[in-house]
Amino acid sequence: MVNENLVKDVVKEPYKYGFVTDIETEKIAKGLNEDIIRLISQKKEEPKYLLDFRLKAFKKWQKMKEPDWSGLGYKKIDYQDIIYYSAPKQKEKISSLNEVDPKLLETFDKLGIPLTEQKKLTNVAVDAVFDSVSIATTFREELAEHGVIFCSISEAVKNHSDLIEKYLGTVVPASDNYFAALNSAVFSDGSFVYIPKGVTCPMDLSSYFRINSGDSGQFERTLIIAEEASSVSYLEGCTAPMFDTNTLHAAVVELIALDDASIKYSTVQNWYAGDEEGIGGIFNFVTKRGKCLGKRSKISWSQVETGSAITWKYPSCLLLGEESIGEFYSVALTNNLQQADTGTKMIHIGPKTKSTIVSKGISAGNSINSYRGLVKMGTKAKGSRNYSQCDSMLIGDQASANTFPYIKSQQPNSEIEHEASTCRISEDQLFYLQSRGIEFEEAVSMMVSGFCRDVFNQLPMEFAAEADKLLALKLEGSVG
Amino acid sequence: MEIIEKIITNKSIDNQTEIQKICLDKLQSSPFPNPKSEQWRLSNKSKFANFLDYSVNEKNSKFDTPFPNISQKNIRLVIGDDCHINLLEENYSIKQLSEDKLVKYIKEQISCFDQNENWSDLLNLSLNCTKNTLGLKISGSEIPPIEIFSHASSNSLNAKTLIIFLEKNCDIDLLQVNLGKEKSSLSQSTFFCLEENSSLNHGVVSYGENKSNLLNSLNVIQSKNSEYNLGSLHFKFNYARFEIRIKQSEGNAKTKIKGMQITKKDEQISTYARIDFNGPNGFLDQINKSLADDKSHAIFEGSIIVPKIAQKTDASQLSRNLLLSNLAQIDTKPQLEIIADDVKCKHGATISQLNEEELFYMRTRGIALTEASKLQLSSYFQEIISFIPVSKDRWDLLDILLNEN
Repeated sequence: MVNENLVKDVVKEPYKYGFVTDIETEKIAKGLNEDIIRLISQKKEEPKYLLDFRLKAFKKWQKMKEPDWSGLGYKKIDYQDIIYYSAPKQKEKISSLNEVDPKLLETFDKLGIPLTEQKKLTNVAVDAVFDSVSIATTFREELAEHGVIFCSISEAVKNHSDLIEKYLGTVVPASDNYFAALNSAVFSDGSFVYIPKGVTCPMDLSSYFRINSGDSGQFERTLIIAEEASSVSYLEGCTAPMFDTNTLHAAVVELIALDDASIKYSTVQNWYAGDEEGIGGIFNFVTKRGKCLGKRSKISWSQVETGSAITWKYPSCLLLGEESIGEFYSVALTNNLQQADTGTKMIHIGPKTKSTIVSKGISAGNSINSYRGLVKMGTKAKGSRNYSQCDSMLIGDQASANTFPYIKSQQPNSEIEHEASTCRISEDQLFYLQSRGIEFEEAVSMMVSGFCRDVFNQLPMEFAAEADKLLALKLEGSVG
Repeated sequence: MEIIEKIITNKSIDNQTEIQKICLDKLQSSPFPNPKSEQWRLSNKSKFANFLDYSVNEKNSKFDTPFPNISQKNIRLVIGDDCHINLLEENYSIKQLSEDKLVKYIKEQISCFDQNENWSDLLNLSLNCTKNTLGLKISGSEIPPIEIFSHASSNSLNAKTLIIFLEKNCDIDLLQVNLGKEKSSLSQSTFFCLEENSSLNHGVVSYGENKSNLLNSLNVIQSKNSEYNLGSLHFKFNYARFEIRIKQSEGNAKTKIKGMQITKKDEQISTYARIDFNGPNGFLDQINKSLADDKSHAIFEGSIIVPKIAQKTDASQLSRNLLLSNLAQIDTKPQLEIIADDVKCKHGATISQLNEEELFYMRTRGIALTEASKLQLSSYFQEIISFIPVSKDRWDLLDILLNEN
């Protein structure tokens, strides 16, 4: 049931995460070339194989062309006008949270992610990433008792180099696409999770990404490995201050699930979307992919996309292991001049693999909201099944909703079902709610919430409440 | 570039008409369709090259059809076969369009062509001479059903163009048959213009022989309160492409499409449909079925475009596919592009094989496996075939298809 009071409370709020933290940062010069990449690598004291990985990716990136097939309209990105490394200045080595700059802790406090021992969220371990670096990870000791490794990727490079070398770039190769290649060349930080064999992670893991400076891009990289018969639920949240310039965010997320392992990856993306005239906002170009390597493994993506001026994101599953399962649950909401092109790819390679896609798009204002998805049954995917459902809701006659499902089958003994529909907020339902004394905007929020129910049910508890609030907030003033 | 050169150097079209010149000019800047574009991405390159391999032939070989002879009730016209028609009856009239009118209309059409999307039409019009163009103006009611044949002769590339204006309140059944002889390529472009309150039941049966190719392009413009029903069937082509472009220019029109393509051996047959709603209260009901066997490839791409002006549009599109072999493949992409908010649009797609439970049920009742699959197939085909006009009573399309399978 939708919490009506909750929706009412937040309807009047502006983008509340738009503040800037005034903190001294260490930035390198603008621009992108081999020296910059060497400098980033040197700052992070990386081993040679990683520097080689970066340089190789950079060489490939230089030869690639920015993709234009999505039809997203945005002003050309000047890749030489971006700062590729920006970190808050702090003591060289931090041994405990007490040594973290209080201003940073305050920032995350304001975002609703308290990191300090007294206040930290119970039962959720957080890795907080501020611009290019991870500043704190909570509950590490407790997790370590279970053998779970949860740290920033920079630390993992130092302490678990073997795992990084073995798995980095195996799901999303450096040459996969333009933005993945760029990320592979300049990635600064991100989270690393390793769940050992047979362990069910005792708490939800979470990372919180915060872009603070207006001229630096964020290029984080997340790698999650779930060994045999392990399971983990991972949450990701993102916000950024309001600037009238566009900031680039090009992340890569790689998930690997071995036999009987399960990974649940949930995102609530609320980057700054730009103002009503479309000035400012984050350009969000993300490559997320999971590999179900093992038998009966499962990867589930759930996402609530409400922010960013441009969203270009297709969390995908490669279903290699026999009887592996891929899931994608998505709510994408666009308002004003936002553009979102999002969807998923379910590549069925192994036999008896299953996938489910549920995508809900809501477009309001002058925005463009597209679902673009691929379902492919390979020749060996005998006995595989896919079910996709894409629903769009249009609010106002200026918004646009598109559906582009690509379906390919090479295996007769498999089944694919796809359905899509488009609707608007029904006037009868609206009238009914209003006649029961429910305010107009609140009634709309309730109906949007109901429209997204299938997806919200898949989100972890805390996230579902937040997502509901966010949708109401984003729709403010767009109806009527 | 080769094909353009071939056309230019081909002696038989030395006396180029104005239309041919315009189209050749356009083709010169893009001699081939863009292989990376959505419309051509999946097109088999070597098969497409094979389409262009045959030399252009304006002369027509003797026409023989595997289909039933003309009955007295029907009017049968063969494009390119010196067909002349001028009927002025009490209830209706069928007149041939004058050359001036034809040229004027085609020029208008060319001016709104998209180089890539209408590439097949550009090729058709640049190859075609007046002799192979049939233009008709039809009015009245109680018109006898019309059958129009286009065919390609062996070892040659033939281009045929059909233009039909349906005047106000006109109501007609029309069956178009495209026949490909062994080792031949047929380029067929069709233009329909439906005026207010007119209604057209259109059937397309395209039937090839060994190694025949087809580029079939259909352009329909519907005025308000018009109704257009299309039943189409494409089979036995080495390479066939069926492009449907329907524009409801003022809305308030009805369109129903039921199409089927059947591929075997290493054939590739594709259907591209684009329906534009340029006014309110439009209606569309589309179903496309594919059946792919052996090493063949069936493709369906449909787009429904609903701009802001097209409020209260009700459109649905369904793609149903049967994949019968391990080496065959099916691609399908039903897509929606919507800006209007007060619309009902939906689409669906399924790919599977014959229903095993149904087969099992029939076998437990003593029906042999081959018989049982035939029964299933016939119900799968029947929905489309019963929608093709004219053929219903006289043509045994279902038997032809089942015997082929």
